[in-house]
Amino acid sequence: MASVSLRNLTKRWGSFVGVDNQSIDIADREFLVLLGPSGCGKTTTMRMIAGLEEPTDGEIWIGDQLVNDALPKDRDVAMVFQNYGLYPHMTVYDNIAYPLKVRDTPKENIAPRVQRAAEQVELSGFLDRKPKELSGGQRQRVALARAIVRTPQLFLMDEPLSNLDAKLRVSMRAELKHLSRELKITTVYVTHDQIEAMTLADRVAVMKDGVIQQLGTPDEIYDDPQNLFVAGFIGSPAMNLVNGSIANGVFSSADGTPMVNIDADDCSSVTLGVRADDVTAIDKGQGFTDAVVYAYENTGENTLLTVLCGGQRIIVRGDRHLRKEQDEVIGITLNAANLYLFDPESGLRLRDTGVRDNRSR
Amino acid sequence: MTRAHFKKTHLKRSLIKLLQTVLILLATLIMLVPILWIFLAAFKNHIDVFQLKLLFTPTLQNFLTVFEAPYHLGQKLINSTIVAFVTVLIAIPIATMAAYSFSRFKLVGETAMLVTILATQFVPAVVIVLPFFVMFRDVGLLDTRIGLVLVNLAIVMPFAIWMIKGFIDGIPIDTEEAAMVDGSSRLQVIRNIVLPMAAPGLLTAGIFCFIIAWNEFLFALILTNREAVTLPIGLALFKAEEGDLWNLLSAAGIIIMVPMFVLALLIRKYFVQGMTMGAVR
Repeated sequence: MASVSLRNLTKRWGSFVGVDNQSIDIADREFLVLLGPSGCGKTTTMRMIAGLEEPTDGEIWIGDQLVNDALPKDRDVAMVFQNYGLYPHMTVYDNIAYPLKVRDTPKENIAPRVQRAAEQVELSGFLDRKPKELSGGQRQRVALARAIVRTPQLFLMDEPLSNLDAKLRVSMRAELKHLSRELKITTVYVTHDQIEAMTLADRVAVMKDGVIQQLGTPDEIYDDPQNLFVAGFIGSPAMNLVNGSIANGVFSSADGTPMVNIDADDCSSVTLGVRADDVTAIDKGQGFTDAVVYAYENTGENTLLTVLCGGQRIIVRGDRHLRKEQDEVIGITLNAANLYLFDPESGLRLRDTGVRDNRSR
Repeated sequence: MTRAHFKKTHLKRSLIKLLQTVLILLATLIMLVPILWIFLAAFKNHIDVFQLKLLFTPTLQNFLTVFEAPYHLGQKLINSTIVAFVTVLIAIPIATMAAYSFSRFKLVGETAMLVTILATQFVPAVVIVLPFFVMFRDVGLLDTRIGLVLVNLAIVMPFAIWMIKGFIDGIPIDTEEAAMVDGSSRLQVIRNIVLPMAAPGLLTAGIFCFIIAWNEFLFALILTNREAVTLPIGLALFKAEEGDLWNLLSAAGIIIMVPMFVLALLIRKYFVQGMTMGAVR
């Protein structure tokens, strides 16, 4: 068990910058999720921690050791790969036992530890099988068991659930969470799925273009996004972002439709952020403004309305009994207590620039 | 779709299938008739050879005669076997190392090297056989098995490197990286992961190289005359003053061919075996 510290970590390939001068301190036993779209540098960051990729610049500390020049095998980490990376010519037992065997663990210690790891991931009945005789979910468990059979200083997980079907992903996610809280080992987890990040993480680092956009707890990331990218990336559906202006305490969209009263200074160009849960759909004429239903979706547990308002699409989450027809005119009201303001140029959250953002702390 | 229409397409499909079968049979026949002729001739007496009848008194005498004086096919069989085996035993380990490096590391001038290796395959053997003769004469390698092994290595290595590289390329890099994080050194990765996974490929390449070395004719013809003569050259012995001894020639031909048939069957089995199945996804 150990803390991990990345200092001014940089990875360049020619002129392409994969990871740009990033620093993070990961506490002992912390579950840190690196979240971002593909190509944002999250996997590269993890591979550099594992020693599979050499940093162009910067330092990687695991515990009190500088590991920049250490081989992967000497870093005392365990990794779960996106494609599992199982050894197809070995049985499940030999797959799980491999990290022990190759590290010269005494023979009598291997069998009980493999058994225990297999039990933890519910694979006990499959130890004699070859990977090709297993389902995707079972293969994922083998990869997991192989990682937990030792007690490494650090777990690295590279999109471990992304090859599973949607239903299995949800149940494996819960199992992973259970296991991680049980094992209490520092973990770095890479994903592009913001729900995985929200549910698993102690802290989330949202990355884009090799730069960490925001580092915080899931609540902080969700409730207090620092810029447009984080606001638009976190949440399902994503936060509604409407371009417009503020005049006399009213926010109007770009085409001049007034949308909400807001306690902020005048501003000619601003992006308003509001989550689907903070927009209410009511009957025509009853809301702050009227909108046309563009699409009505019933997900079972609730409903999603995409409405056209002020020339832009806004997603509204309604309760599961809400019924609307396409092209119906309805009224909508934005919850003035939960609004976010961003600078459309820089993408930064507007907090102390004369505009009072209701959510600023 | 109407019933008549369905019938028509069905008929068309059967016709195409019939045509395919006929063509394949024809091609097979063209390839197999000479072999069949040799098989028959090998069991005939000298006087029966030129009669195309299928009913004759079969004899095994030919197979005994070829091993006796003055033909001594046994000596040639030993030469061929040793040369082919030693060639494979040297070629496969070296080719595997080269192929692994080409497949997994970024080498300076990698493409140029690979193309050059391949290009050597396109040089007509006749062009370089004389330089080889002169060199071998000067260093005393003429008519030796070592000399033949060297020449065969030059012939099979490019082939083996390309073939094995293909197999190693097919091994997911994830698997190797997983092994490295699990605690293996590069050499342990190669021994514990790459070699077992590439084994069918190595075996296939080995058998291919064996077949090439076993069948090699031109170099053996020029570079040997007594001691190191191989089986294909040995066939020339059966040209006698009274004409070609087809019955003996055929018997010797079968002795050359049968191991190849067996090996070809073995390759077929391993060729289709998907070893990487289940490694990923």
